[in-house]
Amino acid sequence: MGDENTVLTAAEARHLLRRTGFGAAADDVDRIVSGGETRGQTADRLVGMKPKVIRPNGKDPYLAHNKWIRSLVKTRTPLNSKLALFWHDHFATAVSKVGDVGLMADQIKLFHKMATGNFKDFVKAVNRNAAMMEFLDTVRNFKDEPNENYARELQELFTLGVNDLAGNPNYVQDDVVQIARAFTGWYYDRHGDAALDPDSHDFMADFPERGPKVIYQQTGGFGAAGRSFTVNGEGAGEIDAVIDIIFQHTDTDGKKTVARRIAHRLLEFYAHPDPATSVVDEVVAASGFDTSWELAPLIRAILVHDDFYTTMVPAPFGATSQKSVKWPVDYVVTTLRLLDLRLRGRDQSLQGGNYSSVYDHLTNMGQVLLDPPSVFGWDWETGWISTATLLARYTFARDATAARGHGSTSFRPDRLIDLSLSDPGDIVDAVTDLLGVTDQLTAAERDTLIGYATDGGANPTLNLGDETVRNTKLNGLFALVLQSPAYQLH
Amino acid sequence: MAITRRQFLKRSAVTAGALLGPSLFEHPFVRRALADTIGDRYLVVLYLQGGNDGLNTVIPVSGALRPAYDAARTTGKGGLNITPSQLGATLLGSDPGTGTPLALHPGLTGFKQLWNTGELAVIQGCGYPNYSLSHDESKVIWQTGNPFGVGSLNGTGWLGRHLAANYGATDIPGVTIDYTVAPEYRETATSVLAVPRLADFGFPYDDYSVDDVAAKRQAFADLCASASAGANATDVYIGNSGTAALTSSESYPALHDLYRSQRGAFNDAYAALDTGTARRLREVAKVVYGVSQGAPNVAARFFQLLNDGYDTHSDQGAAETDGQHYLLHREVGDAVKLFRDDLVDMGVWSKVAILVWSEFSRRIPQNDNGTDHGSQGPMFVIGGAVAGGLYGNHPNIADTALDDEGNTVYTQDANPFRSTDFRDVYGTMLKNWVNVPAATILSSLLLLDGGDPASYWTVANFDLGFL
Repeated sequence: MGDENTVLTAAEARHLLRRTGFGAAADDVDRIVSGGETRGQTADRLVGMKPKVIRPNGKDPYLAHNKWIRSLVKTRTPLNSKLALFWHDHFATAVSKVGDVGLMADQIKLFHKMATGNFKDFVKAVNRNAAMMEFLDTVRNFKDEPNENYARELQELFTLGVNDLAGNPNYVQDDVVQIARAFTGWYYDRHGDAALDPDSHDFMADFPERGPKVIYQQTGGFGAAGRSFTVNGEGAGEIDAVIDIIFQHTDTDGKKTVARRIAHRLLEFYAHPDPATSVVDEVVAASGFDTSWELAPLIRAILVHDDFYTTMVPAPFGATSQKSVKWPVDYVVTTLRLLDLRLRGRDQSLQGGNYSSVYDHLTNMGQVLLDPPSVFGWDWETGWISTATLLARYTFARDATAARGHGSTSFRPDRLIDLSLSDPGDIVDAVTDLLGVTDQLTAAERDTLIGYATDGGANPTLNLGDETVRNTKLNGLFALVLQSPAYQLH
Repeated sequence: MAITRRQFLKRSAVTAGALLGPSLFEHPFVRRALADTIGDRYLVVLYLQGGNDGLNTVIPVSGALRPAYDAARTTGKGGLNITPSQLGATLLGSDPGTGTPLALHPGLTGFKQLWNTGELAVIQGCGYPNYSLSHDESKVIWQTGNPFGVGSLNGTGWLGRHLAANYGATDIPGVTIDYTVAPEYRETATSVLAVPRLADFGFPYDDYSVDDVAAKRQAFADLCASASAGANATDVYIGNSGTAALTSSESYPALHDLYRSQRGAFNDAYAALDTGTARRLREVAKVVYGVSQGAPNVAARFFQLLNDGYDTHSDQGAAETDGQHYLLHREVGDAVKLFRDDLVDMGVWSKVAILVWSEFSRRIPQNDNGTDHGSQGPMFVIGGAVAGGLYGNHPNIADTALDDEGNTVYTQDANPFRSTDFRDVYGTMLKNWVNVPAATILSSLLLLDGGDPASYWTVANFDLGFL
């Protein structure tokens, strides 16, 4: 049991760095441990890093995607970079419908900028984000032909959720209809800036049959009168007023619905699936998220909570242990960073194996940035895992460890571990330490790796100075660990 | 976007043969396709990438539509006009709508032979409302079966949705002959393999030292088995899936050797055609042969391949045998004909259906020596059980009937030029070939449009008649 004042062990430091970023580099772990940092101190430092706001643009989605990956591999603010991926999944928008890479790049830039900021302001910005307006049809929402797509997903996915944590509905169809009215007539200009065309906007006087612009008369704790989003007049201010009301919505427990939902989602992202409601409420209370709507304190509250540390349970994993499956982008970027391996050129390709672009690898793993399968984002956890997607991970692992050539695009294990090691157990441990999974493998699994290294004991020691031995067994060990079930997990 | 991004391919030095061991009996984690609605049949999707010029594929020979054709496709230098005398060898029947005699492009003699045996269905005027002239946008529409971006259908392929509902994570119901999975099959519940060449497919081992592969294989298998034997459900799942990946990475390449050893003459015949389409269809034939012969741990019945190059903005060529369009048609027609003969010889042709589509047709009036992006075009369905013939209606190519872009107009009006919504073709395949009930199709696979019944797909017809 611990809290923000608990001094981090090396294992906890590794876990914290891994879950918030892309792999735990030994130097970063040492810094935390030798500094005697507590959970709170490290969390503050990580959350407080000034983000590098990127705008991954390109002539086509392929190039923009590769640019984004390259920035992830190089990022010095991994918490923010990884969190931007979370927001990309949360506010999922696909370039294959939006059609404009520049607009997508603007959206990704917004995610980087707002990742740890004020969530209410964030949602208000998403209302007006051109790529989102295109994707969820705000630009096709007119007074004569209302389009409910954004009004529905705004509630269902971005803020309230269909049901609260107790399973009760958070809104009804009429709320969707009324909220859609607020967004009628919105468009974006050639700079991607949103504006309201009053001629296409639904004004109550013109549509008396649609009733007053009032929402949440049946849910949300506002009583039978609900809440009007036109108290300050009709027009451009309605979409902000709608957000203000949504953030006041309370669930059947009387708690702020949006606060619980976002905290729940962030706990799923950082910790494990199905977080307990009590944990959700604890991190909301500790951070004041339900009043301030500031994401940084909420994330910090998660990172110091015991629940965050439960997935670092070592092998063997029990039936009730909670493990989380690494996202494909996490798998790829973490591996590249830990191996200090560069991708090459506009294709951002590995220089080994099939020499494929990272884009193709990630396509086969089931996650193409900028092109989520739908507004529901990606399916997490075992949704990432199938025969085909695992083969894609294994192929990536092989291509990375088979990159033999010259310079920074080749795999250079000599720079990663001590080549004077000759005991196979020490060598296996050096590899698993570097990849951060030493305690995630059982004794039997470690023996399997030792057995591989020694050819079943035929070669009780290894001479890593021998080029053939190194290229066969050392590269082979790296590939096996990258392909192991344990490495797919947090 | 080009279809491949690799710079060059390194062939794995290991053949599946070296790895066959006692483990290739029916593996518990590689189940046969469960409760499969497709039964003992196969479905091959063939995508003509780039937008195939339908007007020069299914061509008015004479009669009502020929004058408009002659006005749109010129003679002389750069002209795309194909004359009636050039169409003598590829005659089809008469357009159901106008009675205009139709013929295939002269390069499609392969398809003509399939027409003669009653195994080629030509479905005219296929498209969707508010057609898009963008490759990416229209391609996604065809692949997702979702012209209006309905949320529940986004991001999954029209066939992917069927596979996800009927197969599990360790099943492999389909194979794409490419480096990445075809978007028609995109989904997240089951496994569609992306295999450009079976001979190169296999578990990804570093080919630096072939002698070490057995040791790598054993270690990997042991790590997966250890996870599978553990107590944690997620870990068990990954262990099981990893074992299934290893098994199928060995069972699929074995089909290459099986086919080469038992079907040598056909193997050589595809090689003699020496085209990409022939080679890719041969890969499909290898899997079909293996599945039909009961090879262990293979159960795929859904396939996809594509042929690229149909975006003929310039130098399209008409009937001349070195023209771009001619060569594309010759490649596909000859390869499909050979594939058909191969499968007839295997005794499975009546169980195979091939669906051919493109993301749009091309502009009716030609430009200088090519055509720009267009709208409705023909689809083809080919198979031993297909009811061959002409379906749908030739679009109205009269100049006065074209829109401002010079393209034919999608209509669901009951007139002689009524379009075929591509979703009716998909639905007919799903209902009559894959045995999915119409109610299921309309609730989760393809969704009807709202709007004016004359301009939108508001009523489904999943019995177009070709299957």
